[in-house]
Amino acid sequence: MKPKVAFFDFAGCEGDQLQVANLEEELLTLLGQVEVVSFREVMKEHSDNYDIAFIEGSCTRLMDEDRLKQIRKNAKIVVAIGSCATIGGINCIRNYKDLDDVRKTVYGESARLFDTYAARPINAVITVDAYVHGCPIDRDEFLHVVKSLLLGKKPDIPTYPVCVECKKNENVCAFERGQFCVGTVTRAGCNSCCVNEGTICWGCRGLVDNPNENSHKEVLIKYGLTVDDAIGKFRLYFGWQEGKK
Amino acid sequence: MKIISKEDFAEFVNALIADDSWNIVGVKSKRDKYTFAPLETASELRLDYDVTLLPPKKYFFPQRETLFTYDLSNGFSAKGFTAEAKPTIIIGVHPYDIVALLHMDEIFSETKSDPYYFEKRNTSIIIGVNIQKMSKWCFAPYMGSATIDYGYDLMLTDLGNRYAINIGSPKGEDLLEKYAKNVTNARARDSQLVGQKKREITNMAAQQKFDFPPELIPELLKKTYEESGFWEKHSEKCLACGSCVLVCPTCYCFDVKDNPDLSLERGERIRTWDGCLLEDFAKVASGENFRSTRPTRYRHRYFKKGKYLFDRFGFISCVGCGRCSSNCLPDIANPVNLFNDMYRETLNLGMQVAPATMPDVKIETEGNIDYVPRLATIVKKVPMTANETLLEIKLDDGSELGHKPGQFVEISVFGIGEAPISLASSPTRKDTFELCVRKLGNVTTKLHTLNVGDRVGVRGPFGNGFDADSLKGKDLLFIAGGLGIAPLRSLFNYVLDNRKDYGRVILLYGCKEPRELLFGEELLSLTERDDVEFKPTVNWCPESEVWTGSVGVITTLIPQVDFDPKKIYAVVCGPPIMYKFVISDLKQRNVPDDHIIVSLERRMKCGVGKCGHCQINQIYVCKDGPVFNYSKVKGVPEAL
Repeated sequence: MKPKVAFFDFAGCEGDQLQVANLEEELLTLLGQVEVVSFREVMKEHSDNYDIAFIEGSCTRLMDEDRLKQIRKNAKIVVAIGSCATIGGINCIRNYKDLDDVRKTVYGESARLFDTYAARPINAVITVDAYVHGCPIDRDEFLHVVKSLLLGKKPDIPTYPVCVECKKNENVCAFERGQFCVGTVTRAGCNSCCVNEGTICWGCRGLVDNPNENSHKEVLIKYGLTVDDAIGKFRLYFGWQEGKK
Repeated sequence: MKIISKEDFAEFVNALIADDSWNIVGVKSKRDKYTFAPLETASELRLDYDVTLLPPKKYFFPQRETLFTYDLSNGFSAKGFTAEAKPTIIIGVHPYDIVALLHMDEIFSETKSDPYYFEKRNTSIIIGVNIQKMSKWCFAPYMGSATIDYGYDLMLTDLGNRYAINIGSPKGEDLLEKYAKNVTNARARDSQLVGQKKREITNMAAQQKFDFPPELIPELLKKTYEESGFWEKHSEKCLACGSCVLVCPTCYCFDVKDNPDLSLERGERIRTWDGCLLEDFAKVASGENFRSTRPTRYRHRYFKKGKYLFDRFGFISCVGCGRCSSNCLPDIANPVNLFNDMYRETLNLGMQVAPATMPDVKIETEGNIDYVPRLATIVKKVPMTANETLLEIKLDDGSELGHKPGQFVEISVFGIGEAPISLASSPTRKDTFELCVRKLGNVTTKLHTLNVGDRVGVRGPFGNGFDADSLKGKDLLFIAGGLGIAPLRSLFNYVLDNRKDYGRVILLYGCKEPRELLFGEELLSLTERDDVEFKPTVNWCPESEVWTGSVGVITTLIPQVDFDPKKIYAVVCGPPIMYKFVISDLKQRNVPDDHIIVSLERRMKCGVGKCGHCQINQIYVCKDGPVFNYSKVKGVPEAL
């Protein structure tokens, strides 16, 4: 029997689910291996009977926790997809601000109607079995994780930083192009896609397990970034991992 | 020496490009850097470059390479190594990169030759070029690799409006004859000019300067291994990003993984570049990481380049290209800076450093490595504990594995991967072999779910194994901790099957608690034999369980046995932490060092001394071990 899979979203842009929907031909092959029972972006039907739950988005309200816990109860395997779900993502930038101000900025006079708390990745609330990092996720890596789960193995998610992939791809280092990059402390697995295209690594896959953050901040400053800008580089995606809760 | 005008050289390159039977690659610009890349026209060539982003080794040892493809849909089939369609001509290789390729040749041919590397390497043509502009990070003149008189097919020297061409091989000569026009013999003056250019390169005021002769490097390293403060200070800023090793022309370490397609029945096994600076490089499935900290990995890199490979091959495995220095953002990877600091440190400490004596290098090659496993079937499965299962396996082609006690095999579950597992059965049992599999990583966890009749892949046997013959007539003291009983059992049962050939046989076996005892029934039946002394112990025994043996760690058993230290040979296998204590106790009992035999565990990917993961100093555990005489490894840092 094919495993049943369902997709869920919390605070996020649904761009990761869009990546899945955009698998096109591979999506058809994938449907030979799994049965999709819930996927808001592509179908109307919904079922709470599923084996694997893919969750996109951060948890940003206390009331989200109940829904997350219910999904955890229903699913055998929970997979966080996309930065918002895996590391808190850019939602965590607001954790550096006063939450009342944040609510007022977004909802104006109706702010009091919208409860909120510090944005967090879903593993801050429930146990997560596998991660598909990225903003948005990489389709190949999504397939790698799905294949691994179907075969019963732990997905092979790099513990090394993006520099490894940049070197293999023979990119000219962003720093040598006069730009500032956080690929040195960011978990690889994206095949250094942004740097391949001539930009920088923004850090969307989160920090590696044991980053040497101080050294990298020194590097950013040595290459001419102000201390504030260097800190800003780390706040874009690493807020929750840096302990801003 | 020949001479060709620059116009005719461009025509020569264009003629090569026009011939579809070759892959033509050369140095091209990439932003303000350079890279080896396919050439579309000769005008793209930038022979005035300083250094390329990656060395040309990528054409022989690519970043990612398929070792074989498999198909499980119809029984099983695997397609292994296949010859590349076209040979490659690489234009514009600097002498230091040629030296690096010669180092790679030795590494990839030692003991077993790597067909994936050599098929590409042997059919390729190297057109070198003498350095015209030296990178500011380059220190090749110090490493003796700024110029070279061999290792190329053709070597160019820029003489203004023309190139001088040194012919290095008949292949190079043929190429020139077939594709180049208006090639003339060099006049004496041109030869002099080339000599002068080469002297200029060697004397080129490198911006990187060694304060001492680099021949001292191996001995310098030896003296500073223990200076942990030195290594901590220098590696403090290390990002563990691996840039220094990934751009290195002599780095050869690789990882091996399975990449199934979406059918889950077909897929490929690939190898990809790996690096010893990366966090998981020496981590085994149990979670033990033999170089878990940045300083130890940072130190390993310098030792590998400057000492370990020197001890094994007789060369310092650095050609001075400076790529590591230029790619390190915190600027701590520059070997010149580090070795100069090290030299000053030894002077400050009042140490005398002499050049290392050349090691006795014996590079022998017997046949090719085969990465494609043989197919085998599980014929018996005996669950032993919650985490360990004994699998009895038979090769499908009916052949014997033909192993020695203490050897290991690489077991494949296709789609999941490959894992090294010690043989647990004696070679006296010929038709099948046994593996005691602990559920730890992906492969071993999957193996636990397989059943009788399921198929696995087998490569090996690998490693040296125990020398059972040399132990004949000796008293044997087996000391096993936990899963360490599995490799020891292959020797222990061999000894029991040839009982009359050996003296006393004592087995001390310890595990955490009674429920973790492996081979329980088999071992407990030993108590009925009067020719074997068997003592088990557990670290603790929960009240709910019955245990009549000792309680305490394995070392508590050693005082319980009486033996003659001159006659006894101790064979020890267990978790890494166990060796230190057991060996110290044995030494207290006056057991000579060369009477202690250990079997070591390390991360292994290839099993044949190529992938670099199991390296301890100059030793490859997979090939030179896993069995070692303690007297040979006691002085080897990191071994025990």
